[in-house]
Amino acid sequence: MVSEKKKRAINRLQSMYPLRSLVDGMYERAVEASKEEKPTAWCMVNWWGGDSILRAMDIAAVYPEDYGAVCAAFGTAPAYLERCDADGFPTHMCGYARNCIGYAAKMKDLGEIPPEAPMAGMPKPTLLLASGYFCDTRYKWFQALGRYFDAPVWLLEMPHPGVKESLMEGAYDHNIRFIVEELMEFVAFVERLAGKKMNWDRLDEIVSDTIEMNRIWHEVNELRKARPCPMPSRDFWSSMPASLYVAADPKVTADLYRKMYDEMKEKVDSHVGALPIGEKYRLGFAELPPWHDLRIFDQLAERGWNFVVESWAYHPPKPVDLSGVSNPLERIARHTYQYFAGYFEDAFKAKEPMGYFAYPYLEYARDYQCDGMLLHPLLTCRTATNHLMLVQDRLMKKLNVPSLVLEGDIVDLNLFNHDDALRKAEAFEETMDYCQGLRKEKGLNW
Amino acid sequence: MAESKGLTRAKEIYHNRARRAEELKGEGKKVIGYVCLYPVLEMLTALDLVPYRILGDMREPITKADACLPAVVCPFIRSYLDLGLKGKYDFLDGVVMAHACEVVEKVAHIWRIYQEPPYAHFIDTPHTKHEAAQKQHKELLKEFQKTLESFMGKELSPGRLKEAIEAHNQQRALVRELYDLRKPDPPLISGTETLQVMVALMSIPVEEGNELLRQVISEVKEGKNGLQKKPRLLVWGSIIDDIALIELIESAGANVVMDDTCVGSRAYFPDVKLTDDPLDGLAYRYLVELKCPRTFREAAFGETTKDYMADLESRFSYLKDYAKEWDAKGIILQSVRYCDIHGYEVPGLRDYLGHIGLPNTYLEHDYTDAALAPLRTRAQAFIEMIG
Repeated sequence: MVSEKKKRAINRLQSMYPLRSLVDGMYERAVEASKEEKPTAWCMVNWWGGDSILRAMDIAAVYPEDYGAVCAAFGTAPAYLERCDADGFPTHMCGYARNCIGYAAKMKDLGEIPPEAPMAGMPKPTLLLASGYFCDTRYKWFQALGRYFDAPVWLLEMPHPGVKESLMEGAYDHNIRFIVEELMEFVAFVERLAGKKMNWDRLDEIVSDTIEMNRIWHEVNELRKARPCPMPSRDFWSSMPASLYVAADPKVTADLYRKMYDEMKEKVDSHVGALPIGEKYRLGFAELPPWHDLRIFDQLAERGWNFVVESWAYHPPKPVDLSGVSNPLERIARHTYQYFAGYFEDAFKAKEPMGYFAYPYLEYARDYQCDGMLLHPLLTCRTATNHLMLVQDRLMKKLNVPSLVLEGDIVDLNLFNHDDALRKAEAFEETMDYCQGLRKEKGLNW
Repeated sequence: MAESKGLTRAKEIYHNRARRAEELKGEGKKVIGYVCLYPVLEMLTALDLVPYRILGDMREPITKADACLPAVVCPFIRSYLDLGLKGKYDFLDGVVMAHACEVVEKVAHIWRIYQEPPYAHFIDTPHTKHEAAQKQHKELLKEFQKTLESFMGKELSPGRLKEAIEAHNQQRALVRELYDLRKPDPPLISGTETLQVMVALMSIPVEEGNELLRQVISEVKEGKNGLQKKPRLLVWGSIIDDIALIELIESAGANVVMDDTCVGSRAYFPDVKLTDDPLDGLAYRYLVELKCPRTFREAAFGETTKDYMADLESRFSYLKDYAKEWDAKGIILQSVRYCDIHGYEVPGLRDYLGHIGLPNTYLEHDYTDAALAPLRTRAQAFIEMIG
C-alpha cells in the first residue's frame, strides 16, 4: 500500500482519460473509413479552419503531428527516423516530419500500414491538408510526401497577426476576408474531391459546437490559476489534443471538457492540488515536451514541481462573441484569428509588443503565478524554439521569473539527457527561491 | 587617385559594403535595411530611400545573438542579427522585413524589440499563389506604402513608383546580360566575381548599381580574365553572400557558370510587369514570380489528383533550362544547416535531377568560413566525377 502511494507522484484527473481516448480512437476510425474506400485526410493542426469543413463533408482525418508524439511514446519512432534519414532528408528537420516521412516510406514499401504502427496506424491519405501558419515545415513536409504517394496537398493560408502591422486601419478586415476566401476555395476543392456538395447547415452546427468546445476548454484552464493547481501539464497534454486535433464530434468533446470543469471546480473549491506532496513550485512549460520521456515530470512532481501552464499555442483562444456572425466560414475565420491575435492588444497596452509568439508567456507567468519557466528548445524545431531566448530574457527582466533551459526533442530520444535534466532542475530550485525574494521586493504578489 | 570602376569597384564595395551607404547618409539620404527577397525595393527607391540588403558575415564569430536567438536556427540569420546587435547596422535609418521564412519572420520582431530602429515594417507575405493570396499581398503592400509615407512625410506618387520599377527592371536586364557572359566556354566572368558584383548591387542605390553593371559588362566583354575551360557547374540553394564557397568550388577545378540562389539569379531574373496600378505588378512579381522554395507550388494545385513527376517538373524545370542554356554538366545543391525551406526540397530535387540525368551532390554547411574546408574534398570528388 505504501509503495503504491509512493509511485503516484501526480493525482491524475479522471476526466482526462476519455478525452485522450477520443484522440486515440481517431486512428481506428480513419483506418475503417479507408477500408470502406471513403476519403481520408492527413492534416496539420489548422486551428479549426479545415477541420470543421472536413468533418462536415464526412472526411475522416488523422494528424501526423499527433502521430509523431504517439510513435515517440510507443517507441516506434526511432525506426521511422532512421528511414527518413536514409532517404536523404537532413537530420535537423522536425522530428514529427521525419517520423511521418519514415512511416510513409515504409508504408509505400509494404503497400500497407506497417505492422508495428501503434494505434491502428494512419491509412494512406486521399488528401494532405497543410498549413501556412507557424512553421515552414507544416507545408514543406507534406510537399515532400509526394515521393511516397500521390495525394494532393492543399495549403490553408493564414496571416500572422498579433504584431504592430495587424493593428493598422483596415488590417483586421482584409485579413478576415483573406481567410474567408481561402476557406471558400477549400470548400470547393473538398467538394470536388468528395464528389458531393457541402451541407452548410451541418457546417454551421459544427462550427458553433467547436467554438463552444473551445470556450469550455478555456474555462477549464482558467481554473488552473488556483493554488494549489489541480491540473498539471501532464493532464493538459493528454487533454489538449481533443481540441487541437478535433478528433471527434465537438459536441461530445465539449461534454467531456464540461465534466473536466466540474471535477476541477470541486478540487479548486476544496483546495486539492495535483501533487500529493503539495505544490512547492509552480512552473510554466514551453514549448512541447519530450514525449518519449514524460516520466521526468513525475520525478519533478516528487520534488513539488507543479506545471500549471504551457505554451499559449496549445491553449484555446480567449473567448470572443461571434453570435452575430451568420456565415460559418467567417465565424471560423474570426475564431481562428482570435487564437493568434487575442493577446496582442494586451501586449500593446502593456508596452510589451513582443509579438503574438512571445508576449503570452508574460501574461501567463503573472496570471498563473509561476515561480519559474522550463524552456525546452527542440533541436529539430525552429518554431518551438526561436523565441525562447526572448521569452527567457523578458520574463526575468519584467517579472523576475527565471527559466531553466533544457535542450531536447519531441521525438528523437537521443537528443534529450534525462539525468542531466534532473541535475539541472535540482540546482534551479535555488534560483527560483532567490527570484521569489526579488519579486517580493518589487511588490509582485507571488 | 582615379575612381575605380567595374570589377575593381564591385570588389571594393563587396569588401566594405557599408562605406557607400554611410557616404550617402552624409549626403542626407536615408538608408533602409531589408532582409531576403520579399521586401519591395521599388517602393523604397520611389521615396528616395536607399535599399540596403542586410547580410551576415560568416567570418565573424556569433557572440551577441545567442542571448536572443537559440543556436538551432539558421546560422545566416543568427549572423545578421549578431551584426545588428554589435552595432554594425547602426547606420540604417530603418528596416523592412518580410515573411521569407519562419525564422526571418520571428527575427523581424526580435530585431525591432532589441534594436528599436526609427522605422520598421513587417510584410506578412503569403505562402501560395492563390488569387486570394495575391489580393492579400496587394493589401499588405498598401500598408507598407502607408508606413513609408508616414516615415518620409510625403506621398508616393504612382508616377515615381513606375519610374522606380523601370530603374529596377533595368537593373534586372543588366544582370541577365551579365549572366549571359557566363554562357561561353570558358565563361567570361567567374562565379566568384559575379557574386562580388551581386553583393555590391545590393549595397548601393539602383541607379549607381546600373552604372556599375554597365562598366562591369563592358570590361567583361573584353574577355581579359584568363579563365580556362573546366567542368561547368550550376549552384543551387540557400543564401551565399560570401565568396568563400564559390571560390572553394572554383579552386577545386570547376567554373561556376550559373546559380539559383538569392544573391544571384533568383533575386534578379523576374521583372516587374508595368500595370495600370503599379502595386498589381509588384504584388504579382514578389509573390508569384520569385522562385524561392518558401512559396508553395504544385503542378496540380486545386486538382484532386497528383502526379509526382509532373509536380517536380513544375517546381524544378527552370533548373533544367538553366543547365541547358549555361551548359552546366552538374549541379551542386547546398544549404546552410537548419534551413528547413531548402532542406525539405533536397530529396525531391535529387529525384528530379536523377530523372533528367543531371549529376548532382548535396553539401550542407554551418555558415562559417572554417566549416567550409571539409567540403573541398567532396567538391573535388564531384568535379572529377563529371569532368
